[in-house]
Amino acid sequence: MSLLKPFSKLPGLNTANILLVEGEEQFQQSLADALVEETAFTVNVRLAKSLPLPLENEESRPRIDLVVFIINLTSELSFQSAEASLKYLDPGYFLGKVCFMVTNARNASVPTEQLDAVRKLAASLHCPLLFAEDQTPDGVTNAAERLMTILKVAAGLVPMATSLYLSSLTRCTVPLDIDQPSFE
Amino acid sequence: MDDSTRRLLQRLIRRIPAPMLKPTLEKWGRLTVAQRQSMDYTQRKWPLTEKLLSICEENEWTTKHITELEMICVIDNPNQGMWRAFQLMDPEDDAHSLELTQFKEQFKSHLSELVRHVSVKIKKHTDEAVWIRIAWGDGFSRPNHLKPTYVVHHLQTSFVFVTSLTSKQKPLLSQALVLSTRHHAIKDANLSGRNLTAIRDLLMRQYEQVFPTKYSSPLEEKNQTPSNPHIEREQAGPFANRLQMACEAFGGGTLPQLQSAVYKLETKFRDQTNRNMTEREEPFRCVVKFESTNLLESLRHSASSGIASTPVTPLLSSIPLKGRNYFVITDNGPGPASQMHPSQK
Repeated sequence: MSLLKPFSKLPGLNTANILLVEGEEQFQQSLADALVEETAFTVNVRLAKSLPLPLENEESRPRIDLVVFIINLTSELSFQSAEASLKYLDPGYFLGKVCFMVTNARNASVPTEQLDAVRKLAASLHCPLLFAEDQTPDGVTNAAERLMTILKVAAGLVPMATSLYLSSLTRCTVPLDIDQPSFE
Repeated sequence: MDDSTRRLLQRLIRRIPAPMLKPTLEKWGRLTVAQRQSMDYTQRKWPLTEKLLSICEENEWTTKHITELEMICVIDNPNQGMWRAFQLMDPEDDAHSLELTQFKEQFKSHLSELVRHVSVKIKKHTDEAVWIRIAWGDGFSRPNHLKPTYVVHHLQTSFVFVTSLTSKQKPLLSQALVLSTRHHAIKDANLSGRNLTAIRDLLMRQYEQVFPTKYSSPLEEKNQTPSNPHIEREQAGPFANRLQMACEAFGGGTLPQLQSAVYKLETKFRDQTNRNMTEREEPFRCVVKFESTNLLESLRHSASSGIASTPVTPLLSSIPLKGRNYFVITDNGPGPASQMHPSQK
């Protein structure tokens, strides 16, 4: 099994590498454009539809500092593809180098079970869960900024902070009454 | 002036969108210079209609003149109402050298033989299309100008596009068309849509076709490769493949706007887990309808993004290939031309 390993390559100088995994390949494009605008350091973005990543790129691929799974709540397929891709990540990534980003959470047609399922998944893996609005340029910029905060720590560019430390503060928690029926 | 003429003019002015009113009237050219100057186009439609009605009285326009205006307005704005495509079959030897004047005379004479009171207006548009407006009457009443049928035909092709035709009028129109275009039969092309230009482009393949190539490098430059060197796509190969196959099936660039595709299934129910239904002898009839503002664009996107599996199933790719959007699917082997085989899953 070709696992993606977090520490098997040397890091680049003043660079941060991020991998965006999205089944639908829509939001990742605009998010990538917003992420590379960072000027303080170089950001390299890799886009993928799902894991495992093709072996041909193994040599040229830099060390990935942060893996972001983008899940569209309106599509069941999106969630299943993200879940299936999780198997191909080395467990070392789950110490703060994986993040979940969810779009369309405000959509009225999304059943609450869908969001609960994503929450439970993120909580069980101790990863942060971010919500993003992908239709407007402002939403994209905001999502990119929040990702950048986590990316800087994961790439080691913030002194005195490691991604494991940050993840213990930002990880998703599931409220105890998540399985109770809600009265909305 | 006739009451029906007034009503016709009123309805017509209501239908023309306000910004198009001035250019349409000028194109029509039946207003004198003084009358044209007296029209104030910044007013709302109601006073403008009143003004036009009074000019109509002045100039003594008849229904014939108003229908001219209606034709101009429909030709400029053809994407309203439901258009159906028909195909003429079995041309005779001289069908390919058919001339406009001959066609006009023949069509008018044949149709007037079939229907006692009918009003036919034929006009040739700049892009080689012949537009025919038919107002139907019957043995007892005058032609009804409020519900005309419009027919568009490109001479020397075998396609005819029709809108607003009732089932009673259909055999009459078919007979007249077949005789005047020197063919033997006419059949339904199973294609309908709101947008006349779209269904015409689809049938005559006037959109960008993508052909299978062994070296797909031209397409790789065109696809959404991010131009920034810091952004890289991991699975670029499969992505380019899917895009290529989707474009081969549906076409590149902007696609003609179809609104729906209907599949009428008369196949047996097939599901291993449901013994009850699979054991029935009769076919399981159901109708599957796809609807969208631009159906071909959505189908192409679903193929290129991987939602629909590639290579594209012939059920979907035959929409642009055969130029139809109504299919009847049965289980049998090779059947008549209007049937198709379901793909084996």
